[in-house]
Amino acid sequence: MSTASATDFVTEQVSIHAPAVRVFETLMNPVERVKWWGSPDRFSMTHFESDLRVGGKWLMLGTGYGRDVRVEGVYKELDRPRLVTFTWLPSWQPDATESLVRFELEETDGVTTVRLTHSGLVTQASRESHRGWSQILGWLKDYAEKV
Amino acid sequence: MSYHNSNHMVTIKRKRNEAVFRAIADPTRREILGLLRAGERSVGEIASNFRCSRPAISKHLRLLRSAGLVTAHRRGTSNLCGLNAKPLRAVNDWLQDYQAFWSESLRSLKTYIEENP
Repeated sequence: MSTASATDFVTEQVSIHAPAVRVFETLMNPVERVKWWGSPDRFSMTHFESDLRVGGKWLMLGTGYGRDVRVEGVYKELDRPRLVTFTWLPSWQPDATESLVRFELEETDGVTTVRLTHSGLVTQASRESHRGWSQILGWLKDYAEKV
Repeated sequence: MSYHNSNHMVTIKRKRNEAVFRAIADPTRREILGLLRAGERSVGEIASNFRCSRPAISKHLRLLRSAGLVTAHRRGTSNLCGLNAKPLRAVNDWLQDYQAFWSESLRSLKTYIEENP
């Protein structure tokens, strides 16, 4: 597992010993998803509704740190079992704006690498107007790593 | 600022952070911060870099000051503005929370699949 944080997105990657079809199904099937998404005493997802097609809506309910949480969005790209992207609008975010989640799956010799990119996290405006943004967040990152 | 904040202290912190997020959401204000990174500038010098009116720039500067991102002091007849990057830490914290969320979520996915072949 590797971790990276940069500018206004986060990425995360994991390799799973299973075919991409199986990983995609576990990730996107509503019955499967609520069985694994969460971590003991931190957060868990208990309900997932999904109209898995481009333009289709999804909704996920659960609890996080003792509070009810709700996230919803719309599917933007779909190429089973290699790619799915969807908007992400969480109930716990102040001034909630949509961000974008992208899952890419790549299978090699029965091992599937799942690559997640969650972008546009800071503000809606940051996605619509990138002018000056990457620069600012670049030196913000320099600053934050120093402090 | 994140999915696990619930107590009062955090609410206060969140309010302050929201001001920072709002301040940097605007492209003109981001450019002002970029200018100030090179050093202190008077309001007039800042305004000369933009097509919008000086009162509009002053309004942006007030917002940046209230978010704690810009400091101002008088030198002679002009008001000098400077950058204070410290509140931007909130933005970094916000990203770190999401990093942790996805890290844990993908770990759960891996564990579940590999334990249920």
